Formats: sequence, C-alpha cells, structure tokens
Amino acid sequence: MSLAPELVDLAEQTFFEDPALDRAFGVVMALATEVYVLRNRQQALERLLEEAGVLDRAALDGEPSDQERRANADDRAEFTRALMISLLGKQQSQGAA
Amino acid sequence: MDDRSFIAAQDFILDVKRFWTTEIYPALKADYENRTASFESVPDTSEEVEALIGSTTLYRFYAWLERHLQRLKYSGRYGLYPYHDGKRRELMASVAGIEIAADRLTLNPDLPIPEYYRKVDIHQHPGGIWRDEIAGFVYERGARSTTPLMGKAHKDLHQRFTSFVANQGTTPSHILDMGCGFGKSTRPFYETFKEAIVDAIDLSAPCLKVGAHEAGYCTKSTVRYRQMDALTTDYDDNTFDLVTSTMLIHELPPAEINQLFQEATRVLAPGGRMAHLDFHHVPNAFARFIHDGHARRNNEPFMSSWADIDPVALMAEKGLINIEIIPFQEADDVDPLNNPFWRFPWTIVYGEKAPA
Ligand SMILES: C[S@@+](CC[C@H](N)C(=O)[O-])C[C@H]1O[C@@H](n2cnc3c(N)ncnc32)[C@H](O)[C@@H]1O
Repeated sequence: MSLAPELVDLAEQTFFEDPALDRAFGVVMALATEVYVLRNRQQALERLLEEAGVLDRAALDGEPSDQERRANADDRAEFTRALMISLLGKQQSQGAA
Repeated sequence: MDDRSFIAAQDFILDVKRFWTTEIYPALKADYENRTASFESVPDTSEEVEALIGSTTLYRFYAWLERHLQRLKYSGRYGLYPYHDGKRRELMASVAGIEIAADRLTLNPDLPIPEYYRKVDIHQHPGGIWRDEIAGFVYERGARSTTPLMGKAHKDLHQRFTSFVANQGTTPSHILDMGCGFGKSTRPFYETFKEAIVDAIDLSAPCLKVGAHEAGYCTKSTVRYRQMDALTTDYDDNTFDLVTSTMLIHELPPAEINQLFQEATRVLAPGGRMAHLDFHHVPNAFARFIHDGHARRNNEPFMSSWADIDPVALMAEKGLINIEIIPFQEADDVDPLNNPFWRFPWTIVYGEKAPA
C-alpha cells in the first residue's frame, strides 16, 4: 500500500506579488538541493578514490595547465551559450507568435 | 534513492532552515524593530504587524522558505516520504506481529478518526501521520530535525519536560501520556519513573507501532501503547496520578481542547497532577504574527485558536488548582522570553486535582 505524495489540486499558498516567483523559486531550491547532493557525492567519490590510491588529490586540486584550459574552452562556451540562449527571445521554429 | 543522497539532501535542507532561523528571522525582527522604534506605542495585534512588514521582500522569502523547506523535507525528491516509501518492506518487517504482545500494544481498527484530524495533513506530512502504514517511521525521522538549533539534542526537550515533573518531588505511579505519537514524549517518562505504569495513547496506529517496538527493546518497565482517542478514553475516573501530553493541544479545535481538559481531569485521581507541554506563550504582537504565519504555512489550523484560549480559566473551570503557565526553556542556550533566533513558544500548562 503506497500512499506516496501525490500532486493535488488544492489552493496554492503564494507569498510573492507574482506567483510565478513562488514557483520559480521552488525550481531554484530543487536545483540547489540537486547541486548539493552531487557535490557531496563527488567529494565522497574523491575521498574513496584517494583512499584506494587511485587519485592524486594535489593533481586534481592544482591549477589546470594552459593546455587543459584550452581543451575545456569549447565545452564551456557551448555550456554557456545553451544556458543563456533563452534570454535573446529568439524562436527556433516557425509559427505564429 | 540511495542513502547518501537522502542524507546529503536532508542535511542541506536543514542547513537552509538553520540559515532561515539564525539569519533571516533576526533580520526580519530587526526590520520590524527599526520600523517601530519611533512609535509611541508598539503594535498590539498581528494585523498591525502584518501591515508593517507583511509585504516586504524579506518577509516574502521568510514565508516562502518556512512553507517550502518543510515541503521539500517531506515530499521533495529526497523527501522523508519517498525515502521511507522505498524501504517500506524492511520497515514493515521490523514491526511485523508487534501487536501480538498485547501488553505492549493494543490497536483498535474500528476507532473513529475525528474530522479535524482527517481533513488536514498536519505539519505537511503527506497523508497525515496516521493513514499510511509507514507514517510512524516517516514522522520519527522527521522529528529528529524539527528545530534546527537543537540538532542532536532534540531529545533533550522531552527529557527536560520530564525533569520538570520529576523535580516537583512526588513520584507518579500511574502515568497517562495523551497523544504520545511514536513515544518520543513517553520514553523519558518510563525511563525516569521506572516503577510507574505508563499508558500511552494516540489515534495513529502506525505511530503506536513504532513506539511499542522501541519500548520492546529499550525498557523492562510497564509501558502500554493503546490506540484511543484522548477525548473519549476508556479509563475509569481517578485512574492516574499524572496525566501529561506533549504537542497535542495545539492540534485540537477549541471545543476539543475543552473536551481534552475535561477528560484529563476525569481520569486524574484526586491529588494528581497534569502537565502539558505545548506552544502557547506568545508575548507580543510580533511573536503572534510569526506564530500565526507559522500555523498557516505549516498546516497547523488550530494553533492560533489555541493561542487565544486562556488555559488558566479553562483549567479553573474544570476545578483544577495550583494552575501554572510556565514559559519553557527547551534547550540550554535559548531565552524563552526573548530569543534572538526563531523558536517555538514552548510552554508548560500545569494544574492539580484537589485532594479528596
Ligand atoms: C505533534 S504529535 C506529538 C507526539 C508526541 N507527544 C511527541 O512529543 O513526540 C501530536 C500527536 O497527537 C495525536 N493526536 C491528535 N489528536 C488526538 C486525539 N484526539 N487523541 C489521541 N491522540 C491525538 C497525533 O496523532 C500525534 O501523534
């Protein structure tokens, strides 16, 4: 018998002038939780690898070489563009506005 | 969900709550104090406080976080509910057959569940703390972090309340804990008064199971968990020399509160004591505004009406004597009269039944 929380259409409590902010902030907090869960997991992973002698922590923590940074650049630019693209308000398919 | 992710997420949510408690609440209080510094008389109603700070950005975030951190804690992706739901089989196996030890646990599947209890999922526990068989485990886990400042010392609060009773001198021999939940309030009583018979009653079978299970391995004292409505118990008149409750009263509508005191007085023996720990002492309009807001945001529909009730008059009307209302210090480093950080307005409501 599972009675796991369902989404129910009850009156929503809102606290901001624009309820969009209530909902958007919910997304932010859910994301922040995910970020922390990932961060915590990564730290655990690093610790386990280090304990197993697989990871050189100094190499991981040190400033990346120019070569590594160049290698990262394209990936980062793509990440940034995908993040920011919505702000332009451009459409990606034809259709009525 | 894996255990590490659950713990990480819950710890994070608790840290955000701690920030809310120790940074956002004080900022809100400071803002209110600044705004009223030049007033000849400070506001004396919750509505006046609302008019002053109710639409500030700070307050809006304060309110949002109060509601939604609790939601995330229970129902979010890493919430208590989905986590325990995933462990349902092993959790239920741990209490399987527990009602066979009838002296420890008596359930009553036919017990009518009152309307006020059915219609709200109290403190945003999805399904309430009684519908689902795992609800007792969910509630137990959740109660470990209701007050971020106390951390591991949360147990202290219940222990401190028991110590209050113990320090009064006389040792009770038959104790009733009304609305015992999963026994967090009961345990310090049966551990402190080892010779006493302790009866613990609640509406919620899933909670009672957890309490009985715990008592099964941690005490040899006589403690019995029974599924019963505290407003209509089946005990004879004058049965107990101590009747107690912890965080029960604020869950009841006003008429039920009246009934609760009636029933508690009836089953109390002449010369016996009653001590209830609840949220009541709300000393000013700002505190009241915070309290009413908490009630609304945390699905505690009767917390505010209870704050309006005068327990002294109520207990006097039931014929009780030596009545005292005592702001309660739930931890070493809090000031029950004016704490810089958010806290519940813990209060002991105490009275005695006149000796025969
Ligand atoms: C906030 S909990 C407190 C539980 C416990 N005393 C503690 O300190 O952890 C309130 C409890 O009161 C119970 N309750 C509410 N109405 C009740 C009633 N009419 N009779 C018995 N228990 C009731 C609920 O099921 C819940 O377990």
